[in-house]
Amino acid sequence: MSDQAIPVVQTAGLCKTFRDFWRRPRVEAVKDLNLEIRPGEIFGLLGPNGSGKTTTIKMLLGLLYPTRGRISVFGQAPTDVSVKARIGFLPEESYLYRFLVAHETLDFYGRLFRLPSRIRRDRSDRLLDMVGLQHEARRRVGEYSKGMARRIGLAQALINDPEFLILDEPTSGLDPIGARQIKDVIRSLGRKGKTILLSSHILADVEDVCDRVTILYGGQQRAAGDIAELLQQRDVTQITTPSLTEETIEQVRDLIRRLEKKDIVGVSHPRVKLEDFFLRIVEEAQAANVRTHGARKGGEIPDFLGKPTDVAGEVVATLVEAARKFEPIAPNEPPRRDKAPSREVIESLLGLQQSATRPEAAAGSTVDEQSRRPSRAQVQPQPEQRRERAAADRNVIDALLGESDKKANGKMNAEADEKSGSS
Amino acid sequence: MKIALIFLVLIAMVVLGLPFSVAGDSSLTGAVQSFISYGLATTGLLLGMLTIFMSRSVSDELTGRQIFLLVSKPIPRWEYVVGKWLGITLLNASFLVCAGATVYGMVHYIKRTHPPIDPQFDAAELNNEVLVARHAGKAHLPDFTEDAEVEFQKNLEEGRYADQPKFDAKIEKKRLAQKYEAKWRVVGPGDSRIFEFENILCDRSPTNTIQLRYKAEISQYPPDEIYRSAWLFGDRYKGTPVHQVARRDMQGRYHTIRVPADAVAADHTLLVRFYNYNPYQAEVSWPNVIEFRASDPVEVLFTVGTFEGNLFRLLVIMLCKLGFLAAVAVLTVTVFSFPVACLTSFTVYALAGVRSFLLESLDLASVNNAGIFSSVKEFVVQSLMLIFRGIYWVVPDFGRYDAVEDLVNGRNVSLVWVLQAITELALLKTVIILGLAILFFHRREVAEVSV
Repeated sequence: MSDQAIPVVQTAGLCKTFRDFWRRPRVEAVKDLNLEIRPGEIFGLLGPNGSGKTTTIKMLLGLLYPTRGRISVFGQAPTDVSVKARIGFLPEESYLYRFLVAHETLDFYGRLFRLPSRIRRDRSDRLLDMVGLQHEARRRVGEYSKGMARRIGLAQALINDPEFLILDEPTSGLDPIGARQIKDVIRSLGRKGKTILLSSHILADVEDVCDRVTILYGGQQRAAGDIAELLQQRDVTQITTPSLTEETIEQVRDLIRRLEKKDIVGVSHPRVKLEDFFLRIVEEAQAANVRTHGARKGGEIPDFLGKPTDVAGEVVATLVEAARKFEPIAPNEPPRRDKAPSREVIESLLGLQQSATRPEAAAGSTVDEQSRRPSRAQVQPQPEQRRERAAADRNVIDALLGESDKKANGKMNAEADEKSGSS
Repeated sequence: MKIALIFLVLIAMVVLGLPFSVAGDSSLTGAVQSFISYGLATTGLLLGMLTIFMSRSVSDELTGRQIFLLVSKPIPRWEYVVGKWLGITLLNASFLVCAGATVYGMVHYIKRTHPPIDPQFDAAELNNEVLVARHAGKAHLPDFTEDAEVEFQKNLEEGRYADQPKFDAKIEKKRLAQKYEAKWRVVGPGDSRIFEFENILCDRSPTNTIQLRYKAEISQYPPDEIYRSAWLFGDRYKGTPVHQVARRDMQGRYHTIRVPADAVAADHTLLVRFYNYNPYQAEVSWPNVIEFRASDPVEVLFTVGTFEGNLFRLLVIMLCKLGFLAAVAVLTVTVFSFPVACLTSFTVYALAGVRSFLLESLDLASVNNAGIFSSVKEFVVQSLMLIFRGIYWVVPDFGRYDAVEDLVNGRNVSLVWVLQAITELALLKTVIILGLAILFFHRREVAEVSV
């Protein structure tokens, strides 16, 4: 079975019962939990306080052992050391060493992954920049505010460029700017192919970033599925337009009454979200260079995140970068060969030859929000839609290949003629 | 880290302050011996306490939950446990190096600054008695088993054991041999005794010296408590010169005679004759019976190494003991909360110090009370014995590895002794305790109830 096919997390009948000193069962924290997190998705673990979210995460990390049931991470037991090398973990509170400064903190956790010192230094700088703590990198973590501690916590979770990121209440204690930044980071990491488990009881956060969710209550799974499906109100239709006059609204109302035999439930001017309004004010203050000792605006997501985890590769890349300063002995680029892309290959990859697209690809292209990742549980496109899409894809391929495609096809045809002639 | 610094300051205060506060016996040798003895003993005690307190880092990481981030990283749990032990042991090693260097420096400081009584004698005595590593050769006793056997057979023939129903021939023969040995140890007026020594592996040149160390008791005390005697060193039959030494010695005290090393024969044997007579004709001497007791053996001391080497080997032995203690501290802190772990570790530390004494008293209890206690009480005693025997097996005897006294007396802290300490303390018992710590920590859930 390929690595992509193996669920990142799989639990079956997972139970956790806490016992007291005399081994009497005291609390059933998790009951019969069946969970599956697939590669590349952002998965939300929702539930009120004490619903078993953190206990489940602790079992995934090997901090707690299940009382009953099975649990696997990347197809291995959670206690397996090789599995832990692929995981990044942000706990619900800052459990960092208070006496270390931010740089030392990231360096220390980088050491635990046996990263070379140069890479640790480089990643620390870039992660601190990403979480907006570069200017406070020499301060002891114990002196940080809660929000700053969350940011450095997130940076430590990313130091190993993990394939699977477990975030327990990542936005708790953060100001709206920080919360937005963290959500942006999560979305970006999701786009880069990371699998993310997000545990939170801040529903807006989960709704903003997650593909699928599971809702726990009393240690049991109460609901699970694609977030878009779960939240969709099928009995209500919403049309958004620029501001309309009263007359137009009346006409629309008449039209709906005539055609649908229904009335409009409500007409109003939508409000902007308070979060957006707040962020606009702060951005204006930042633009005016108002002085602050708190966390600042975070930088870009470091480009090392999302690449395959290959420390040796990074070393080689850095050496190559360093070597560019010197004059090359041989020409940098080999002589170009006329190698045109093949229409057949592209079409077969897109599935156009069978005139059907994969459901994932089709669903992915229908999602209107740039930030949201494609869901795997989308409804299969209708045959009409498929045909339209296939035609659109062919147009794109034609535009991309252009003349080279024609040349290549001509060349291939000539070679085929030559071969048939010689035989 | 603060706690380590506090202990470092304490050790520095003790080692640097002792020379100015310890009185000794006013001689230079006494002052240096007192300083080394108290300085190293206090350092050992403070480092033992530091070792136990340093295990708090494990407890802090468990209660402060930093362990969540450590255990969720690709670090095997055994590595965490061994890492903690190694950290404490390396800290101890660095502190021991500092303490050892300071002790060495302060010894030379005392040597230079101590008010002299007889400058030449003081310095020579210090160099010969303390700042040296000497091996002690014990006198080879004659074999008394033959005499014991003869008397035993004679007694048997005469029927002297007929009225003893629980008679044990072995014990009786041993008793008779001890009687002959005790007789041999007593030297009557005008009598002499020969002490033979083997394996005196020293430089036999006449410029080198060897030392005879002895202590004798006398039967009747003269007013000045001094007895007079003569010693001859060497064996004419083996071609060595014979050195005569006339002595006036205080009874009940150790005395040392220095003689040229050429008295030792080529086969590394030494013959020493003791004469119980007064070589000082002009002085009046009381006829006395002189006894060399088994508890105070007559020894020949010869130099085999330096004080520096001796100090280093002693520090290695101390480190082995601290390494064991660190393993105990790490084990207890992985199982219990810090206060309980601390108490348990201190108990083990104390038990290791009094282990031999404890076992002796338990053995005596079991023998003496066997017939007196009722069966329930005996059961309790036997159960306790079983527990203590288990502890006896695991807890090493720190008293057996107490080399400070040897260092203070200029005795060689032998490499064999160091190897024994490394084997028993470091390789065997520390590994067993660390293995248990790894096992417990591996099975332990590092998180707790959070619902």
